[in-house]
Amino acid sequence: MDFSFPKEYQLFRRMVREFCESEVRPLARVIDREHRVPHETIKKAAELGLMGVPFPQKYGGMGGGEIGYCILAEELGRVCSSTATVIGAHIGIAAMAIYLDGTEAQKQKYLVPLAQGKAIGAFGLTEAQAGSDAAAIKTTAVRDGNHFVINGAKVFITNGDIADIIVVMAVTDPSLGAYGGITAFIVETDTPGFSIGSLENKMGIRGSSTAECVFQDVRVPKENVLGQFGAGFLTFMKSLDIGRASLGAACLGGAQAALESAMQWARAREQFGVPVATKQSVYFMIADMAVEIEALRSLIYRTAWMIDTGQPHIMEAAACKLFGSEVAHRCINKALQIHGALGYSRDYEIERGWRDQRITEIYEGTNEIQRIVIASNLFRPYGLRIPT
Amino acid sequence: MKIVVLIKQILDPRGITVRRDKERVFINREEYILDPGSKAAIEAALRLKESGDSTATVIALSMGQPQADDALREALAMGCDAAYLLSDRAFQEADVTVTTRVLAAAVEKLDGADLILCGRESGDTGAGQIGPRLAEALGYAQVTDVYALTAQDGRLQATRRWGEGYATVETMLPAVITIAPAAFPPRYPHGARIMNAYREWSVPVWGASDLGLEEASLTPLLAFRGESFPPPLEVGEKFRGDPARVAQDVIMALKQQLISNI
Repeated sequence: MDFSFPKEYQLFRRMVREFCESEVRPLARVIDREHRVPHETIKKAAELGLMGVPFPQKYGGMGGGEIGYCILAEELGRVCSSTATVIGAHIGIAAMAIYLDGTEAQKQKYLVPLAQGKAIGAFGLTEAQAGSDAAAIKTTAVRDGNHFVINGAKVFITNGDIADIIVVMAVTDPSLGAYGGITAFIVETDTPGFSIGSLENKMGIRGSSTAECVFQDVRVPKENVLGQFGAGFLTFMKSLDIGRASLGAACLGGAQAALESAMQWARAREQFGVPVATKQSVYFMIADMAVEIEALRSLIYRTAWMIDTGQPHIMEAAACKLFGSEVAHRCINKALQIHGALGYSRDYEIERGWRDQRITEIYEGTNEIQRIVIASNLFRPYGLRIPT
Repeated sequence: MKIVVLIKQILDPRGITVRRDKERVFINREEYILDPGSKAAIEAALRLKESGDSTATVIALSMGQPQADDALREALAMGCDAAYLLSDRAFQEADVTVTTRVLAAAVEKLDGADLILCGRESGDTGAGQIGPRLAEALGYAQVTDVYALTAQDGRLQATRRWGEGYATVETMLPAVITIAPAAFPPRYPHGARIMNAYREWSVPVWGASDLGLEEASLTPLLAFRGESFPPPLEVGEKFRGDPARVAQDVIMALKQQLISNI
């Protein structure tokens, strides 16, 4: 058993850390305040191969696998959750869906520019009445000769308004339900009939955009069916499974940042004539944070290794997302408490971290859904079905 | 054009504490990094290649312990075309004379170079001797402390620090150039090249016998006889209280110090 990172990953982490400190951190506060996507960062990230970290080099990727991708997500999450979200949705679910189930031609046409960062990707699943109940989508795709005509609306789509390529799930046979009746499509966003509705005015991750995507008679060639016809639900679930591991990694970075800032503050801040770090009420909190973060780190990278080595990982990936978001919640909350009133100030990073963290318990499958996934996997060998 | 970049791996200074009062250097975290001066030299070499002669090859050389392999792979990741590690137990006691001899032998094994770049000085020992000494050993021209560099038709133009200003000089190739680190902020290595540097590419190791160096020629002229430390820094005055008031006090204190220094 060897728990050390291979050397290429050590050098990669050092590069990403420097990139994040020099290019991402200085913008974190600005993009949160201005409520804008950091296009300049995305361009720089693309030049370094960071928009395609997990994918093979033959598809324009970096060849870093899930481990490399989790390193990127962790380091981004440590300095700016908004940037982590923009790049996470692009790589982790949008490009990932094409990598997992795309044909060779689709990979050459769409995955290559996505991985090179020449195109931005989005993942269109959620609808107004289909959130946790993802199979309840109403968007339809109807065959018309060599095309499909898509109608409907997707909501809460990360990168929706900046994407060049969106992977969309639509009902192709209402009589067949989730398995058989839903198909995934690759849609170029300059196709006539595609438009952006409203943009969400969010509490956190304000440097990422969350858009309503409207499809009105959007004609897509049949070559753009992603995966098996009728098996779109599986394609989306597979992508989400992998995305959950890296989402947990971004949470790990957020928790780590909270620990670092809590430690720094606790050493500097003096009350009753001593640094507050010497107070048991404070250092107990810090010890608890460190332990949870270490446990999360082990879970994340073991799961990433399972994904890279082709092992079943659905339960572990759900655990990464569930545990990661809740560890981040507890750590940022404790760090804010240690900062006292200043932690509540908009002038301190911890306040942004607190707002940014909250969504991680909701998006890409609520934590309640993750618990269902985990429990279903636990009980399945006993023939017990967990109803959703 | 064949460009050789001499690089060095150093102990990360962020992991070191110098305790003047205890007269000791404490290594808190033993981590090795590619010397920032070396990174600047690599950057200068890659810019020469990109701006003019795209057929140029950039070769990184490092003399060091086996772990210097990591520094060379980082050089490959940044964009160097090849890298060689000069490492041998016989090099362990090397002083700057021996180091120059080993580097010169390696350059000769590569059939010479058109241009040799290195940092103005290293981030650890900071002697700043390797460039000039190697130029002498190989009979190459040399320009030190260079801020800007262009190569054309076998000639090289270099801008170097000259007193308060700069001087631009021209030299024939081959030449050794030492680079001013601040002038060439290094690029980040590309992610895919980082992966390939460890998975696909190799860094051959050349020892004394590969370089045709006899043991007798590797005897250092200098011997290390211990270290000493300057006295601890005097702790300055600490101001506390209302920020506006503190600011005024600091300005007053600085003014008084300036006056007393005149």
